[in-house]
Amino acid sequence: MFTRLLAWVDQRFPLTSFVKHELTEYPTPRNLSYWWNFGFLAGFVLVLQLATGIFLAMHYKADSSMAFDSIQHIMRDVNYGWLLRYMHSTGASAFFIVVYVHMARTLFYGSYRAPRELMWWTGQILLLLLMAISFMGYLLPWGQMSYWGASVITNLFRATPFYGEEIVRWLRGDFGVGDATLTRFFALHYLFPFIIFGMVVIHLVALHTVRSSNPSGINLADKDNIPFHPYFTIKDFFGLGVYLFIFLLFVFFFPNAFIEPANNIPANPMQTPSHIVPEWYFLPFYAILRSVPDLVGGVVAMGVSVLIFAVMPFMDRSKIPGGAHYRPIYRVLFFVFLADVFLLGWVGAQPVGADAHSIHIMELGRAATGLYFATFLLLPFISKFEESWLRKRGLPPALQALFDERTPRHDWHHQEAGK
Amino acid sequence: MKKLTSTLLLGLLASLAVAAQAAEEPTLREIDVPHDLASLQRGAETVATVCMGCHSLKYIKYRDLLAAGIDKDKVTAWRGTKSKDSSMISSMTPDAARSMFSVVPPDLSLMAAARDGRARYIFSYLTGYHKNDKGVVTNSVFPVTRMPDILGSSMAADAQARAAIDEKAKDVTAFLAWAADPHAQERRHMGYYVLGYVAFMTLLLYLWKKQIWREINKRPKIK
Repeated sequence: MFTRLLAWVDQRFPLTSFVKHELTEYPTPRNLSYWWNFGFLAGFVLVLQLATGIFLAMHYKADSSMAFDSIQHIMRDVNYGWLLRYMHSTGASAFFIVVYVHMARTLFYGSYRAPRELMWWTGQILLLLLMAISFMGYLLPWGQMSYWGASVITNLFRATPFYGEEIVRWLRGDFGVGDATLTRFFALHYLFPFIIFGMVVIHLVALHTVRSSNPSGINLADKDNIPFHPYFTIKDFFGLGVYLFIFLLFVFFFPNAFIEPANNIPANPMQTPSHIVPEWYFLPFYAILRSVPDLVGGVVAMGVSVLIFAVMPFMDRSKIPGGAHYRPIYRVLFFVFLADVFLLGWVGAQPVGADAHSIHIMELGRAATGLYFATFLLLPFISKFEESWLRKRGLPPALQALFDERTPRHDWHHQEAGK
Repeated sequence: MKKLTSTLLLGLLASLAVAAQAAEEPTLREIDVPHDLASLQRGAETVATVCMGCHSLKYIKYRDLLAAGIDKDKVTAWRGTKSKDSSMISSMTPDAARSMFSVVPPDLSLMAAARDGRARYIFSYLTGYHKNDKGVVTNSVFPVTRMPDILGSSMAADAQARAAIDEKAKDVTAFLAWAADPHAQERRHMGYYVLGYVAFMTLLLYLWKKQIWREINKRPKIK
C-alpha cells in the first residue's frame, strides 16, 4: 500500500529522489566537529520561535494601552502562557548565541571562502533580518526599556542625509514612538519570520550546491565523505539534546536572566530610565556607535561594523585553504578579534557620564573599535604575509600537494563536473 | 602562540578589572527569599492590611491568593465587600494619593521584578530606613522616596527589634516575589522533570550516536 502510494507521489513529485539526494545520500565530510551543529540548531530555534510566537499572538494585544497588560495576562492567566512567553523571550537570546557561534565557526575555519561566498552573504542577510526582528519584538511588551530602546534606535535614522526626519517619522508612524509604532512593529514582527524562513531555504540550497566545508579547509576525497543520514542526523539530534538542556535550564530556572528589570515597568514617555541599555546581543555594535562622538559617524561605524563581515571573502588573500587549521597567524587574529568583541560588549553595557571613569571607558571603547576594524582591514596584508612565511617554512604534505598540482583555486567546480 | 593568546587575555582581564572598580550603586542586602506558605501568608497579611492603604496590586486578584493556598478566612477579611474576582486595588484614589504624597504610589504587582536587584532591592529598601547625621529619616537604597518608614527600621532600638523587622520585611519580600511571578514554584517543579527527561533522552541519543559512528570512528583521523 505504502509503496504504491509512494510510487504515485513520485510520478508527480520528486519525493524519493529528493530525500535520497539531500539526505540519505547527501555527502558530508566525516571530520565535521560539533561546531558544525549550530546551523541545524539555528533552524530549530527559528521553528520554536515561530511556534511559540504564533500562540503568543493569540493572546497578545498590539495596542499601547493594552500591550503591557496583555503580557501580564499571558504570564498569569493563560494556561502555560508563562512557558510560551519565557520560551520566546529566552529563545531570542538563544537565537543570537547560536547564530554568533555559527558565524564564529565560519570565521575560524574560513568557511566563508570560495566557493561559499553566497552562503556567507545569505547568512549576512539572515543576521540583519534577525537583528531587525528581535528589535521589533523587543518593543511589543511595551515596557520602559522597550519604549526607550525603540526611541533611541529609530532616532539613529535621523543620520540619513536629506530625508532623516521623514524616515524617522515613517518608521515610527508618528512623531514619537507610540501606538502607530507598536502596531506596525507587531505586523512586521509577524511577517519577518516567513521572510527569514525563505532566506533559510536559499541558504540551504546554496549549501547543498557547495556542500559543507570541513575543519581542514581542504576538499576531502570522496571516500572521506559519508551520507548525511544517519551519521549527521543522529549527531545533530544529540547536539540538540545538549542544547535543549541548557536552553530549558534557563527557561525553567533563570527565565528573567534576559529580561531587564526596567522592562517590568510600563512604558512611560514622560520618564527616561536612568540607563538605557540595549539587549546583550547588540552591545558590541552599540559600543561602536558610542565610540564615535558624532551621530552620523557613529551610525555609519555601527552599520559598517555589522556589514563588514560580508567583505571577508575578499579580505582573506591567502592561497592556503581554510582558516585557522593550517594558519597560526590567522588563528591568533581570530582570538584577538573574539576578545575584542567581548571587550566591546562589556564597554557597551557601561553607563556613560562625564566623570573620569566614563572617559576611561570611552577611551577603551575607541581602542577596541579601532582594533575591530583593523582586524578586517589588515587581513589582506596579514594573510599574504602569513602565506609566504608558511611556504618558506615548508608546508605539510597535504597542502604542498595542492600547490604542486597547480590546480585553479576553484577546483571544486571540476570535481562537480566530473561526477 | 598559546602564550601570546594568554598574555592578550590576561591583559584584557586586567583592563576589565580596573574599569569595573568604580561602582556607585548602593549595596543591597542579601536575602534568601522564603518559599513556604506560612511566610507567604504573613507577607500577604502585611501587604493587604498595611501596604494597600496606599498601594495597589492590580494584576493580583483575591482568588489568586486562594489558589496560592492562603487561608480563606483571612482573604475574606481582607477583601471585605469586594468580590473574589476583583483585583487588589487600594482604597486610596490616585487623586487623594497625589494630594497627600504628590505622586501616585507605584503598583506593587511587579515591584519585585522591576528594580535592579529584584527581591534584594525590596528587602534592602524596606529595611533601609535610618536617621542620617542631622537626625532626618532617610532611605539608603532610595533616598528620595516619599514612603514613610512603615516597618520602623529607623526607630529600632536594639538588635532584637531589628531582627523582628528583618523577618517582617522578608515575608513582604516573599509575597511580592510571588506576586511578580506567581507561577515560579510550578515552573521550577516542572523544570526538574523536564530537565530530567531531556538529560535522559540526550544520554540515549549519545549512546545511539556512538553506536552509529562506531565503524566511521575506526578510520584514521583526517589531519
